[in-house]
Amino acid sequence: MIKITDLEKFYRTEEVETIALNKLSMEVGTGEFVAIMGPSGCGKSTLLNILGMLDDPDEGSYMFNSIEVAHFNERKRADLRKHNIGFVFQSFNLIDELTVFENVELPLIYTGVPSAERVKRVEEVLDKMQIMHRRNHYPQQLSGGQQQRVAIARAVVNKPKLILADEPTGNLDSSNGNDVMELLTDLNEQGTTIIMVTHSEHDARYSHRIIRLLDGQTVMENIMI
Amino acid sequence: MLKNYLKISWRNLVKNKAHTFINIAGLSLGMAVVMLISLWIYDELSYDKYFKNYDRIVQVMQHQTVNGDVNTGTSIPIPLGAKLRQDYKGDFKYAVLSSWTEPHILSHGDKKLVKDGNFMQPEAPYIFTLNMLRGSRSGLNDPSSILLSSTLAKAIFGDADPMNQIIKIDNQLTVKVTGVYETPPYNTSFSYIHFILPWDLYLTTRPFLKRVQNNWGNNSWQIFALLAPNADINNVDAKIKYIKRDNLKLQGDAFTLSYKPVLFLHPLSKWHLYSDFKNGINTGGKIEFVWMFGIIGLFVLILACINFMNLSTARSEKRAKEVGIRKTLGSMRNQLVGQFFTESLLMAFFAFLFSLMLVQLTLPWFNQVADKRMTLLWSNPWFWLIGIGFTLLTGLLAGSYPAFYLSSFKPVKVLKGTFKAGRFAAVPRKVLVVLQFTVSVTLIIGTIIVFRQVQFTKNRPVGYDRAGLIQAQMKTNDIHSHFDAVKNDLFKSGAIAGIAESDSPLTGVWSNESGFSWRGKPPGLLDDFGIIPVSYDFGKTAEWQLMEGRDFSRSFATDTSTIIVNEAAAKFMNFKHPVGEVIKWEGQNVTIIGEIKDMVMSSPYEPVKPSIFALLPYKGSFINIRLNPKIGTSAALGKIEAVFKQYAPDSPFDYKFTDTEYASKFEDEERIGRLSGFFTVLAIFISCLGLFGMASFMAEQRTKEIGVRKVLGASVMNLWGLMSREFVVLVVISIIIASPVAYYFMQNWIKNYKYHADISWWIFAGTAAGAMLITLLTVSYQGIKSALMNPIKSLRSE
Repeated sequence: MIKITDLEKFYRTEEVETIALNKLSMEVGTGEFVAIMGPSGCGKSTLLNILGMLDDPDEGSYMFNSIEVAHFNERKRADLRKHNIGFVFQSFNLIDELTVFENVELPLIYTGVPSAERVKRVEEVLDKMQIMHRRNHYPQQLSGGQQQRVAIARAVVNKPKLILADEPTGNLDSSNGNDVMELLTDLNEQGTTIIMVTHSEHDARYSHRIIRLLDGQTVMENIMI
Repeated sequence: MLKNYLKISWRNLVKNKAHTFINIAGLSLGMAVVMLISLWIYDELSYDKYFKNYDRIVQVMQHQTVNGDVNTGTSIPIPLGAKLRQDYKGDFKYAVLSSWTEPHILSHGDKKLVKDGNFMQPEAPYIFTLNMLRGSRSGLNDPSSILLSSTLAKAIFGDADPMNQIIKIDNQLTVKVTGVYETPPYNTSFSYIHFILPWDLYLTTRPFLKRVQNNWGNNSWQIFALLAPNADINNVDAKIKYIKRDNLKLQGDAFTLSYKPVLFLHPLSKWHLYSDFKNGINTGGKIEFVWMFGIIGLFVLILACINFMNLSTARSEKRAKEVGIRKTLGSMRNQLVGQFFTESLLMAFFAFLFSLMLVQLTLPWFNQVADKRMTLLWSNPWFWLIGIGFTLLTGLLAGSYPAFYLSSFKPVKVLKGTFKAGRFAAVPRKVLVVLQFTVSVTLIIGTIIVFRQVQFTKNRPVGYDRAGLIQAQMKTNDIHSHFDAVKNDLFKSGAIAGIAESDSPLTGVWSNESGFSWRGKPPGLLDDFGIIPVSYDFGKTAEWQLMEGRDFSRSFATDTSTIIVNEAAAKFMNFKHPVGEVIKWEGQNVTIIGEIKDMVMSSPYEPVKPSIFALLPYKGSFINIRLNPKIGTSAALGKIEAVFKQYAPDSPFDYKFTDTEYASKFEDEERIGRLSGFFTVLAIFISCLGLFGMASFMAEQRTKEIGVRKVLGASVMNLWGLMSREFVVLVVISIIIASPVAYYFMQNWIKNYKYHADISWWIFAGTAAGAMLITLLTVSYQGIKSALMNPIKSLRSE
């Protein structure tokens, strides 16, 4: 599904140039669950942003489903993104002004799903995430665990082929964290590819493969049994 | 999608109540001001449009040159009327002579009213296409007829049929009602003319009128005309230009010729807004106010839009996260632009509704200030079309910057929390604040100068005591023929301290003459004196101030051939001590017996005209009475009325207070002052709303910084200074820009008045101090509030 080759990304300020990704290459197959780990500043999040087409690489190739996307313009990226990729963030990133239902509905609006179909699909996914009873609440009225479940519901409602999760349990206690990991595992078992950035060895164990980064390069890969 | 836009827009409005309030209040105030100003401008521009022949009605006017100055006026000589009617038939469909609009007593049975009207030739109703409710436009063909306005007909006859009823004019003339016309609306040049009498009847009222039928040198009447359908005003202008000059030549009137009369046509479309002439050139007039208020309106709207943009972009960092999430979920940039425009349009729409309410509520008051009778044009489709178009424009204009700015955020940055508006992101906002305050400060300075000019002129010494004086126009002979008896009775009643007749009111000079000669008069000097015929005791009644010589006195039989001059006249004749000098006036020698201090009788903004006071040889048009200050005004007036009724039972006691009449000379300037004051207050208020919003935003943004500073030992005063400094700097820049701009414009304005106040430095200093104070008051609330906050709280909020 994903093949990146010699990917480079630099951050420049007036005086210093920092290398975030240094000729990084990797592949992720369809249906895989991959964890990316590494110390702060190793380039995990940069990688995830590039994979999610939120950011451009400076050099190298990024093939998504055999299409070269490294230098797509914003419009094309947005189009590819909204049909194929779901995001789960550490800080949930729900829109405060919208209810649970409306937050989950949003990606469907952007992909032009008709209203009746939207209601059906949102209800389905809320049910699955066991958050249906909170459908009319606003994000601030929910616990962290509940908010992350809403965020996951939003990420999967469009049935994306790939879910990118950036420390999905980082703001949760261990019990809620485990719940979220179970949810992601279930999704993966149903065929969704998952790439997750994490600091937690415990969470990483849910994945099939751990890629460890240091200074923008792969230093080790562990295959989980 | 639209539903989603509307939903989130609505929730954003509700969630940020203060921000919404500031935005909608500011915008709706701005819109209300623009609406009021637009109504005012519409009213001004539609002045006289009631007349169907708006484009072809003209008044004949003339320029005359006196010692190099060109004076322009509407008075013309009588024979011009016949000349135009006979020899220029191809150019004028109608041309009619008219008297001035004057008050007359109209009586029918016991009803007696004093109303203004004109004597005009019979075609006048056709020129002005009077809308006849009864009778026909030919009603004036009968020389003993009268046409009444519907308002006057109602006042005299109530619901009874006015046609063919008999009315007495000034207790002398008997006329029959031959028509009733719809009263022209208030914004027409004819709204004060309540009746029209036939010109031929006028000619029978005064014997001297017969004598001036062929006198081209006496300018005492008016001519209104309707151009022929194919006539071009410029061509006709060229044709009539020298008619008067040529006829004066024929008559051998070299003296009047020396004034170089030039005739021209002034179209109805210019009567109201372009009535000023300087040196023979039409220099505008009220049109300047139309421009001025138009510009003010535009500025106020811009101020309100600036607020909107400023607050929206200031809040952008709060909305950045939302933009990031939406972009991550696949929103296109244009969808975000659409969303922000929806928000701004929604707000503009609410503001429009509120502004309609505001205008509806304030219109009665505004009408009073502006002396108008404007209404909101609810049923006019143009009003709605323009109103809604204008709302859309405002919404788009106000929302454009936030829409394009907010939608350009990069999702990676905002979601990671690394998004911080750069060092220069606030620059456009600062520029906008400076622009706002520049406009406000300019308006403040302008308004102060207008008020000061009015006040300065009001305080001008007038040369007599106008308090406790009343003046009454005498349309009949009753009081004059019993003058001594009236005077005795009034003194006996204790109601008065003085009484005298005069031919002009104390607040005007109604007659001018030239052709005087005196010792040492330079050859070729053209003279023009105001002539005020007065009775004995006039000086005592008005309490004028004699500088030398004496007042007229019954003890001197020769006083009928003496005059009293004012300072300006003495100066014009170059007499240091005018008393005793002999002047030649209409072939007679008259001696100056006194010189008085200049009395301001005409425009208080102009220098006093050289004037001559002479004893009245006939009935004066006015009676001036000084009330006895020892008894109350209403008691005195009651007693005076009783005496007047006794001697003039058929004339209503119709008087005016001299000081009120004098004050009315300031009406225009005061009205302009009040209006610009009103708009200035609103402009300041709108700017302050914006400032307040900006300050609260900044306080919010710097919460952490303030917390850290406080932990490190900053005092509340330090923090207040920190928070206020930035705004004070912006306002100082505004003052520096606004002061020369305001000076330039106001210097030009004030130059129009010969008697004017200086533009002093303290106006600028005071405005600067005021603006600074307002700024500090506005921003301090937020500054102090955040400075007093517990730092633990502010630090935790990050």
